[in-house]
Amino acid sequence: MEITIIQAILVFVVGFIMGIDQFSFLESLYQPIVTCPIVGAILGNFELGVVVGGAYQLVQIGSMPIGGAQPPNAILGGIMATVFAVSLNLEATADGVGTAMGLAIPFAVFGQYAVTLTFTIMSGMMAKADECAERADTKGIRNINFIEMGILGVLFGLLAVAGLYGGSVLGDLLKDWSYRYSWVMAGLDAAGGAMKFVGFAILMKVMMSREMWGFLLAGFVLSLLCSANATTAGATLILCAFVGVAIAIYDFTANVKIRENAGMCASNMGGDSDGI
Amino acid sequence: MAYNIPEKYQDLTPAPRLDNKTLNKMVWMSCFLQASFNYERMQACGWLWGILPGLKKIHTNKEDLKASMAHNLDFLNTHPFLVTFVMGIVLSMEQNKTDIQTIRSVRISAAAPLGGIGDALFWLSLVPILAGLTANLAMDGNILGAILFLIGFNAVQFLIRWWLMHWSYGMGTKAITMLTSNAKEFTRAASILGVFIVGALIANYGSTSLRIYVGDPAINIQGLLDGILPKLLPLLITIGLYMLIKKGWTPVKCILTILVVGIVGCAFGIWAGDSKAMDADGNTLLGGYTPLVEWYEYPAPAPAEKTGQQAYDALEQIVIDLQGAGVDVSLGE
Repeated sequence: MEITIIQAILVFVVGFIMGIDQFSFLESLYQPIVTCPIVGAILGNFELGVVVGGAYQLVQIGSMPIGGAQPPNAILGGIMATVFAVSLNLEATADGVGTAMGLAIPFAVFGQYAVTLTFTIMSGMMAKADECAERADTKGIRNINFIEMGILGVLFGLLAVAGLYGGSVLGDLLKDWSYRYSWVMAGLDAAGGAMKFVGFAILMKVMMSREMWGFLLAGFVLSLLCSANATTAGATLILCAFVGVAIAIYDFTANVKIRENAGMCASNMGGDSDGI
Repeated sequence: MAYNIPEKYQDLTPAPRLDNKTLNKMVWMSCFLQASFNYERMQACGWLWGILPGLKKIHTNKEDLKASMAHNLDFLNTHPFLVTFVMGIVLSMEQNKTDIQTIRSVRISAAAPLGGIGDALFWLSLVPILAGLTANLAMDGNILGAILFLIGFNAVQFLIRWWLMHWSYGMGTKAITMLTSNAKEFTRAASILGVFIVGALIANYGSTSLRIYVGDPAINIQGLLDGILPKLLPLLITIGLYMLIKKGWTPVKCILTILVVGIVGCAFGIWAGDSKAMDADGNTLLGGYTPLVEWYEYPAPAPAEKTGQQAYDALEQIVIDLQGAGVDVSLGE
């Protein structure tokens, strides 16, 4: 398949926009059902793009970004499935595009690596955000958001164009690389999973006092119990919030009453002493 | 953290009510909640960006704006489509100049539970239903599928974003005056709720676990830990980091340490991690990845149990063999 410069630029733009849209903006443009027809149109086979989009979307329904977990990346998967379907001139049927989707998997995995890497680097940028806040630098906060959107957009644009030119040869290379250095990516995955504990620790620094440890453990335990039960697992945090709110309201009303009573006692005593 | 966030704002007179134009602007900005998503504070910086139009109107005192921006960079993770609910509540508290610690506690408590609701509402209901209907149109080669999907999804999304913002802001401003007359008790109660929720978050989001197997037959160390206390590692790491941060460690230092420990640990196969990598045949790797130094053997998964059909075929073969040997048997229906 001959690829013109214009086509390559357009594919980069699609990768750029979808790379951002997967987390921000409409959060629906990036779905394969929308992305694939656009890529198909760029490559000159719109109808095939529509069909690949429909087929990929059905696969994607089973892997949604639930609870912060990241399924293999739908964007690069969708873009590359379309590229393969068009370049191999596959039949515009659900069965025909199965091959294309298989070839696209290494790219979907690499899209995931791009996301993991960006989220890791941006964790380091939070110190910069703190500095901006100390100076009330609102533009600085905006720029940090622009930086991550820029990084994601460029990474996805470049990967999409690389896939466009490299095709299945590049796919095999990527697969081989991720196989050989799987421990590095697993390390990033493990480290990324543990970084949120820093965020939790900062929150604890604000709210903790000696008597609060019990509440921390109580929340921990309730969350464990709810998530162990298949019926309640999905609603774990809202269930914890119900119990937490009950405790907080009880504590609030009890303490308000104690203070009011203390005030009344004090005024009563004051009255007695006046009488004497 | 060189800057110490104060406990109270300097200017304690409640700010005037935010106008609808500012609220609507923040509804649009809420689309960029995850623009600077990261592993440490997740949506914090995008959240701050989103509510800045409101904060700038509320805090005309420069020092108060600094304090407000600083504490609005706390860890935050909520559902991107439902975030305006949290925005409305937090803005109503900011407007009333509630104690900063109270705002921080209420914010995380209101944000965290929305994740599960939003997932159920959007990723498990709306998208599968919409996509299921429209994907079939698309597979017949009809572009209407994509268009209907986009229109349907975004109509629901923006209606919810807009309505939640106005509803929760109105509700918050009404409730807050009653609560602030008992400010000290309110702060304490909010902290209890906040700490309770952080405890729940540790168990809910904490995924750190060990990959190591030792001995023969292989024993999973993580299994032993789970026997002591499930999610023991996330709890210990969080408490450890809390101690370090109290001692004066910066968040950046904590993150870099975690990064090094994570990658070096995976080189030796200590931590569980998923590389999503595949071998030449397209199979996922044993235990998520192959460590650089393999000093223990990761047990191969147990062979899959025979399916009903396989069992039936085997039985049928026995019957045929027996019949061949002259025994009078037959398979029942």
